[in-house]
Amino acid sequence: MFGTIAANPDKLTPEESLRYRSCYCGLCRALGDRHGTMSRVTINYDMTFLVLLLSALYGEGCTVGKERCLIRPWKTHPYFRSGMSDYAADMNIVLAYYHFLDDWADEKKVLSLLEAKLFEKEVLRIAARYPHQCSTIRRCMADLSAIERAGETNPDVPANCFGQLMGAVFAVREDGHAGDLRAFGGALGKFVYVMDACLDLKRDIRKELYNPMITTASGGFDEILNLLMADCVAKYRRLPVRQDGKLLENILYSGIWTKYEADRKKAGRRGGP
Amino acid sequence: MITDPYGVLGVSPDASEEEIARSYRKLAKKYHPDVNPGNAEAARRMSEVNAAYEQIKSGKTSGTAAGGYQGQEAGGGSASRGQEDPFGFGFNPFEGFDFFGQGPRQESADFAFRTVIGCLNAGRYEEAIEELNGMGERGAAWYYYSALANSCSGNRITALQHAKTAVQMEPENPEYRRILNRIQNGGQAYQQQSREYGMPTGNLGRICLGVILTNLFCMCCGRPC
Repeated sequence: MFGTIAANPDKLTPEESLRYRSCYCGLCRALGDRHGTMSRVTINYDMTFLVLLLSALYGEGCTVGKERCLIRPWKTHPYFRSGMSDYAADMNIVLAYYHFLDDWADEKKVLSLLEAKLFEKEVLRIAARYPHQCSTIRRCMADLSAIERAGETNPDVPANCFGQLMGAVFAVREDGHAGDLRAFGGALGKFVYVMDACLDLKRDIRKELYNPMITTASGGFDEILNLLMADCVAKYRRLPVRQDGKLLENILYSGIWTKYEADRKKAGRRGGP
Repeated sequence: MITDPYGVLGVSPDASEEEIARSYRKLAKKYHPDVNPGNAEAARRMSEVNAAYEQIKSGKTSGTAAGGYQGQEAGGGSASRGQEDPFGFGFNPFEGFDFFGQGPRQESADFAFRTVIGCLNAGRYEEAIEELNGMGERGAAWYYYSALANSCSGNRITALQHAKTAVQMEPENPEYRRILNRIQNGGQAYQQQSREYGMPTGNLGRICLGVILTNLFCMCCGRPC
């Protein structure tokens, strides 16, 4: 479910591309500093998007620099890091933790349990810092697994639940932006959840697992997903974004479809003559 | 209504929720149109199984589990909902629409739905949904009001599906078609803009080698990302 909210690199200008990489590297640095080198492997594009969005909204000061890192040691690369990178890094750890726990509960993967254990202490520390976000995430994850266990066939029910979780992650502070951020994050989370279900449908049918889209004909997926993204973009428009508008729009109009398009191509090849 | 939904699913009426779900998924594996492309008989069987499953679930869970979740969502999301435009489209898809203004042609239908209409007008959308879920017969008007109520409370997928069902049942009703169009419009406008932007052709993971390593790590643990 994670890593969907990415940019389409083909449609970025060189400047935007540099900005996107810098943001990503800043987040990676924040993860390493705050939660140890191991935590860097949990980085994903979703939280990069969150840093870009919150920075564009709050426009707070950030540190800019160049660094070499373990993963790409042969050259230096620019990064920018702000308070929002630190916040997104914290949220990234919490989301990864619950994702690992979920895998353990669903599929009894021992490695996932070990990974979760690795981050347990960090999660407790973060929960003390952001009690509201963390309690919402915990509650929504519990609700979501109850909904899935009950075999709910209405996709809106689990999708709203996941949307609520993402809404809490997006609302960094309880200020004037909180309502709009929660609404936008909620709509985006809903899309991400439903798209994931669409992509997993065939596998879930085969493995006899829960899938909220099972009663919907797969021919109708495009329409539903476009409807959900339309809602998302409408809520994005309410946010007074001060910078990186083009980059954020690249993600919301094009990049967000990366996984879906890749899957469609793969399916096309398989189904082709 | 199916007379023996349990028989369709091949379970006994006192089977647990989990047993019923397991049996449903077994049948889905056999008959789902995605695993049987072009097989009309499988598709027919699947819609029968779907109907039976939903019938059992609505009988078992209406007002408890499913209702509970929707209630929770309403409670938790209320902070943002207050400031939202009522339909959450960023523009009002039903602009100029008046819940009472359907003219005399639907007077009898309106009478049956007067509580629902009252809830909709008062902005108590979750209550309207609960009221609707408690009603037995589901005709075109039921699906129409359900589409409205679900659209208002942000249940977009249900809203779309129910508006479609209403139109399917009464294709000549202009009001039903109008609502379906309004619901679909936003999605179509977005799709247009998105196409103009250009669809992504690459795979994820070109920005940073770290992502490739992350993916490798994911492959080691085997979880789908």
